[in-house]
Amino acid sequence: MPRPDERRDSAEAGIVPFVSLVLTGRNDGYGGDFLARFFRTLRFNHEQLTSRSIAHEIVFVEWAPPANRPLIREFVFEALPELDAGICSWFVVDARYQRELSLNPRLEYLEFPAKNVGIRRARGRFVLTTNCDVYFGRHVMDVLARGALETGVLYRAPRHDVNLSSRRQTVDWTELEDPRHLAGPAHVLKPPYYGSATGDFVLLDTASFHAIGGFNEVYRVARIGIDRNVIVKALSSGLTVADIGGPVYHENHEGSYRLNPRAFAGREAEAPWGDRRWHSGGVSYVNPPTWGLSAAPTRELGERAWILDFSWSAVPPLVDLKHVVLPTARGSGPPPGHYVRKH
Amino acid sequence: MKRLLREWLAAVGVVSARRHNAALQQLETLKAISAERKNSASAAASRAQELEARLRRQSDEAGKLQQKMDKWKEQRQHDFRQLQLQLAKTERELKVARDHLMAIEVKLDILEGAANVLDTRTRVALSSQRGGTGAPA
Repeated sequence: MPRPDERRDSAEAGIVPFVSLVLTGRNDGYGGDFLARFFRTLRFNHEQLTSRSIAHEIVFVEWAPPANRPLIREFVFEALPELDAGICSWFVVDARYQRELSLNPRLEYLEFPAKNVGIRRARGRFVLTTNCDVYFGRHVMDVLARGALETGVLYRAPRHDVNLSSRRQTVDWTELEDPRHLAGPAHVLKPPYYGSATGDFVLLDTASFHAIGGFNEVYRVARIGIDRNVIVKALSSGLTVADIGGPVYHENHEGSYRLNPRAFAGREAEAPWGDRRWHSGGVSYVNPPTWGLSAAPTRELGERAWILDFSWSAVPPLVDLKHVVLPTARGSGPPPGHYVRKH
Repeated sequence: MKRLLREWLAAVGVVSARRHNAALQQLETLKAISAERKNSASAAASRAQELEARLRRQSDEAGKLQQKMDKWKEQRQHDFRQLQLQLAKTERELKVARDHLMAIEVKLDILEGAANVLDTRTRVALSSQRGGTGAPA
């Protein structure tokens, strides 16, 4: 296996980066100052990856951007001059996809179909789907630098929620690793799902990610639990799920599900993330061959940037019940009593 | 002298009538006792035979009961094994049923979501056709 820095040389030659970071967002002020948070984490992660000579690609999916605001791409390179546009792949997705894909009008952002757009188009040998407010820990960086990743293994990392000053432009290890900044007890991942904030860190080789067809696009009723559901799909497909061995740090912000997961207790149908009680640990799925909007017509927007125009041929069926399937192998079932909803 | 004479007569087998009568009476008593004992022995022997026969019958009965019990025990062990197998099968079926129930609930979620989406789209379409508010005509 070539070293990650050798892969960087290849990537610079336009071949294969070692890892593609798949991120999604839009300029809508999500969770307060979204852009500042995103730029802080992107700057930190990019700097750390670069300093360790880890050849990486940043795949950003600007999902259903608001028509009345500029695209993030228009000022990301200004905010982060150190970021080379050549290592970025930028996809702007027509807002109609959000409207036509959604099976729940309360979901304002179909995070996982958006991430699938990036997974489907990522060039790296490994794909790491994460969020715009997540800093990778030292151990994660070391593993990537050593290239110590196996194919067929879905890696998870525990999330440490931290309170950081929102006025800072940069963050360093001292701040991230200061236990006083921890917003609560550090999470411990437990088999078989190694769940808890799965969406913040799913790392898998690209071929396996393509084999399982990305995140669930059949169940578009909730955003919550889709990340956990990909673990069921992975286990059911014969992949191994493992803890990478070190944490990622999530910057707390207003509107975060983690801050108040029970905010919609008793009125789950109204939650902006959908009903958290759906059986995400119990069923698997088979995405349509067009997953990740692969059939969407693309237009070039600039250097390594494209617009995915709307086309009905790219939209998966509204209902595709035969592709909700039972997992062939699951670590463990939900305990009795959790199968049927308690209204 | 009298005593000597009596001893001498006794030596030749002559006793007085009184003694002879007493001896005869004792003999009769002993004969009666002997007969009575014989009867008792005979009764005891027949009782013993009867008890032996009863013992044999009861042994046979016990043997049969033991056989029955062994058979019953074997049957119960077989039934227990069958119940264990049935329980394992039922547990498996219950898990499968629960899995199917989950899948059905997930599918119902999708159907409900789709129905709501279609309802909204229909209302919007009808509203724009009629140029009204979307309220039923």
